Parts: sequence; C-alpha cells; structure tokens
Amino acid sequence: MPNPKRKRLLPRSSRRPLWQSAMLYLIVIVWCFIVLFPFYWLITTSLKRPIDVSRGPNYIPYVDFDPIPDHWQEMFGSQRESTFRHFRNSLIAAAGSTLLSVIIGAMAGYGLSRFRYYWGRLGWDNDNIAFWIISQRFLPPAIFIVPFVLLYNQFGLIDSYAGLILAYTMFNIPFAVWIMRDFFNGLPIDLEESARVDGATRWQAFYRIVLPLSAPGLVAVAIFSFIFAWNEYLFALMLTNFNAITMPVLIAGQNNTRGIEWWFISALTLTAVAPVIVIGLLLERFITRGLTAGAIKG
Amino acid sequence: MASNAITGSISTVREDRLMKRVFLSPAVVILFALSVFPLIWSLGISFTDMQRGGSTIARQAEAEGITEGVGFMGMGFELTGRNYQRLIGDTRLHSTVRNTVVYVFFGVTIQYVLGMGLATVLNQPFRGRNLVRVIFLMPMMITPVAAAYTGRMFFDSNALRSPLAHFLRQLSKTLQLEQTLSVPWFTDIGWAPVAILLIDAWQWIPFMTLILLAGMQSIPEDIYEAARVDGANVLQIFWRITLPILFPISMTVILIRGLEIFKIIDVIVVTTGGGPGSATESLTLYIFEQALSNGNYGYASAIAYILLILVIIFASVFLAVGRRWAGSWER
Repeated sequence: MPNPKRKRLLPRSSRRPLWQSAMLYLIVIVWCFIVLFPFYWLITTSLKRPIDVSRGPNYIPYVDFDPIPDHWQEMFGSQRESTFRHFRNSLIAAAGSTLLSVIIGAMAGYGLSRFRYYWGRLGWDNDNIAFWIISQRFLPPAIFIVPFVLLYNQFGLIDSYAGLILAYTMFNIPFAVWIMRDFFNGLPIDLEESARVDGATRWQAFYRIVLPLSAPGLVAVAIFSFIFAWNEYLFALMLTNFNAITMPVLIAGQNNTRGIEWWFISALTLTAVAPVIVIGLLLERFITRGLTAGAIKG
Repeated sequence: MASNAITGSISTVREDRLMKRVFLSPAVVILFALSVFPLIWSLGISFTDMQRGGSTIARQAEAEGITEGVGFMGMGFELTGRNYQRLIGDTRLHSTVRNTVVYVFFGVTIQYVLGMGLATVLNQPFRGRNLVRVIFLMPMMITPVAAAYTGRMFFDSNALRSPLAHFLRQLSKTLQLEQTLSVPWFTDIGWAPVAILLIDAWQWIPFMTLILLAGMQSIPEDIYEAARVDGANVLQIFWRITLPILFPISMTVILIRGLEIFKIIDVIVVTTGGGPGSATESLTLYIFEQALSNGNYGYASAIAYILLILVIIFASVFLAVGRRWAGSWER
C-alpha cells in the first residue's frame, strides 16, 4: 500500500502561478475561519455578561466587552457537584466501553485474521463473518430503542454505568474488529511463528508479540471508541435518568431546566468538548490513519 | 492456519481449535445478545399491542378483573397487524420519512461536493498543510449536541445576538439594499431543515475532505505527469483521472455518511425539537417520541422497521450501483 502521508514535491518547472497560490490560501483561510470561528464564539460567549450576549454581537474581548470569569466560577463553584458528576459519568462510560471494545475487538480481529472459520449452518467463512460484524455498525440505533428499554428495565440496568458501558461496547465492537483485522492482516506472521516454535502458546504469542506490535491500531480503535461514547446522545438520554447522565444529555437539557443561558451553556459545552479536542490534537496521526484504514480499504 | 504447518503436532491443532473460538466468541456473543436478539425481538414487538405499563388488552382485562390467560398464549399481549395499518394513515410519519430522505440526500450531496472541492485544494502542497489538517479534525470530534448549540447561536435571527444575522445586516447596509437581509432560520418551514443540514455539514465536511485527500495522495504522480504531457487541462485531469480513481473511496464515504445521517436526532432535538410543526422531525426522533414519550412500544417498533427497510434499500442500491459503475470505468 502506498503511504498516504508521503510528501509529493512538485518539480520546480511546474510551480503554480501566483494567482493560483493566492486562491489556494484564500480558500484554506476562509475554511479554517468557518471551522474555528464557532469555537472562538463559544469561548468569548462563556466570558460575557448576559447583557453583552443579548446586546451585541460583541466580538473582541476588552474592546467590545469586558470578559468576566463568573460563568466558569459558577460552573466549578456552585454548580460544581453537577458538573463533576456528569463529567465523571461520561468519563466512566467512555473509558469502560473503550477498554472493553479494544480488548474484544483486538481478539476478534486477530481471530478473523489468523484462523479459518466456517459457520456451517450459514455457510459463512471469515469474510462473511467480518462483513456481518461491520454491518451491525450501520443498523439504525432507533431500532434498538424499544428492546433496550425493555431489556434494561428487566435487568435493572437503567441509569447504571454497566448499562451504558455495555451499550457503547456493542456499538463500538464492529468498528474495532474491522480496524484490528485489517491491522493484523498487514502484520507479518513470521514473528509469531518463531515464538511458537520456541514453545509459546497461541495466547502468549498474541499477548507478548502481536499486541505490542499493533499499538498504532489499538490506539486508533481506542480513540474512536472513546470519542463515540463520549459524544453519544440518544442512548445516554434513553438509558439514564439521574445518576448516570452524561455530558451531552446534560448540555441538551440546559434548554428546559434553566432557560437559554448562552454564557453558561458555552462554558459547559467547552468543558465537554475539551477532552476530545485535546485527544485529537495530540493523536492526530492515529486518527487520520484509522479513518483512512476504515474507509479506503473497506 | 499457518501455525499448524510449522509444528503439525496434535496438541497445537487442538489448542488452536480451542483458541480460535476463544478469540472470536466475546464479540459474537455480545453482538448476538445486544444486536441480533433485540433486532428480532423488536420485529416481534411490532406485531403486538405492547405499551408502557401493559398492553391494551391486558389493561382491559385488568379492568374486568381477569388476571390469568390474557392475550396471545396468555402472555398478556395481543398479536396484531394494526401497527402496520396505522403507518399508512399517519401523516406525521410521512413527513418524517420525507424529512429523513431530504437530510440524507442533500446532506450527502453538500458534504461530498464541498469535501471533494476542499480535498482538491488541500492536495496542493502549501505551507502549514499539517496544521490545517489538525484544524480540520476539530469539528468532527465534538459531540453533535455541542455543534447544534453553537449552530443555534449562529442561526439566531436576532442581529443583536447572532454574528451571522449581524453580518447579513451589515452586508445589506453596505450594498444599500432596500430590505435588510434576514433569514428566519429556525422558525420557517423551508429554512429550518437548511439550518440543520448546514450544522451537520459543518461537522462532517472535514471527514469527507480528509478521506478523499488521503485517497488523492495515494494516486501516483506519474499518471498526472503522463496526462499533462498529453496536453490534458486541469478540468480534464480531474474528470478523467482523479474522479474515476477516487470512485470506490467516494462510494464508501458517501455510504458511511448517508447511513450516519439516517440516524440524525441530536442536532434536531437541540435546535428545533422537530418543529416548526414537524418540518424538521427525523424518523429517529419520531420513533424516540413514540416509544418514550407516548410509550407506544408496538407502533414505535413498526416505524423502526420502516427505517431499517429504508436504510437497507439505500445501502443495497448504493452497493449495486457502485459496483456496476466501477465495472464500466475499469473497461
């Protein structure tokens, strides 16, 4: 496979004319503005007095309006208990399901890459099984609403961490299996073989040799699972009612409980998106690689 | 499969026979328990009169003081095709189906066209390309709820609050228009879906761009070189080389995004709540309301199956058409 990150240098003779460069930079800058301005607006709104929000629009701090830290103080002060609880809920649900998805996804991916399966009754081989697994990812979640509510009520899983973790693991497994299988397919088999000749069991070969080598794939799966669970709204809304409510549900509910306090919502929203943005900035290359592995080879 | 060949010992074969099950089982068990089983179960529910707090027939029986042997095989509910009959006359359902199809069709179109345009631009070497790539990742990482709130601030029609409305007002002043440009984003039946489409597009155009860009960068340079030597212009190169080569990737991203847009609910809940009227309501939102606000489990399941059928039609048409076109291009 050609490396997608390979830099292609244009020969000097075919350098583009100045107007093309100007157009290129213009488009790039305009689009970056469209992407970044909403974030800027969230940050400034979280620092505005209510009057500065409704009598504006005010763009530049210290020029158009005086920034105040009140809403952030409120969020980590009087609202502290609520903020921390929901943040923790999101963290537990996302981290728990990420851990499970990575482990289960890596195991199934390895199995599908290294063994030959045949489900006689269905006449399915490895490719059929892999396709069946990935196809689960594309089922509309709406179809699970009624059965999940009934099932979770039956087993007392409503409003519990275990319930959220289980649901998110189910949603993440197909993608995790798909990426990991792809990754293991690209990994040479020789190392495992020599380890096994030296007397290692299958499991030892997997655990000691294969897993350490597939760190980039595991990281990509972990990032995607975490972000999915962190951002998920429908199931969090449906399966929680107080104790286990996550950040997206808290934010979406601001509308009803307190009227629209844009300044406070902005601070809350920034708190909710900060972790994933940090992950994104730090681990950008894993994400791009994971995205392209998922789409291009699929 | 390979390790058997190395040692060939019986113990290894037996170990592998066990291990291959150990590796695959957890995933399969979870998917069967939480995906296949609910899927079949909800098909069953869609043929019953099940509701929150007991089915219609069970409640009737309770009022008459009967407790045993109620309904189908005494299980407390009735088997019925009424849910599917009800689909036909439900005008709100019809409008949600139409909205969902509109979201998928226009959403995918906008995102693919703009995403492709941006990818073409970003494929040129320029300073700061890696930084731009990182910036591009930002919208698609955040929760759609957050994107929707931000969108709600921007598509507010009050020029004292929204930068966009303010910009439009300044623009009409500068151009000395008689009327101030103002768009009733969330209150107008025609504009509200547009606002939702734009919020979704803001979030997901970068996804299209990054993947198409990766595809473009894997096209070897000599193909372009050869075309240029033959005198092809930029447009011809794009139509005759880039687009056909990117065809399989394009099909994949469009399919992925299309299937994702079928699931849309959070953006709508936060911005319009489905209104005005039911002009922006999606199928997922309608199913959610039928199931959890009204407690109509049977009917909600029937609608969910309509959604599933739409999704399956979309995916199979896409896969079939994609395969055929890909074939004709190869020839």
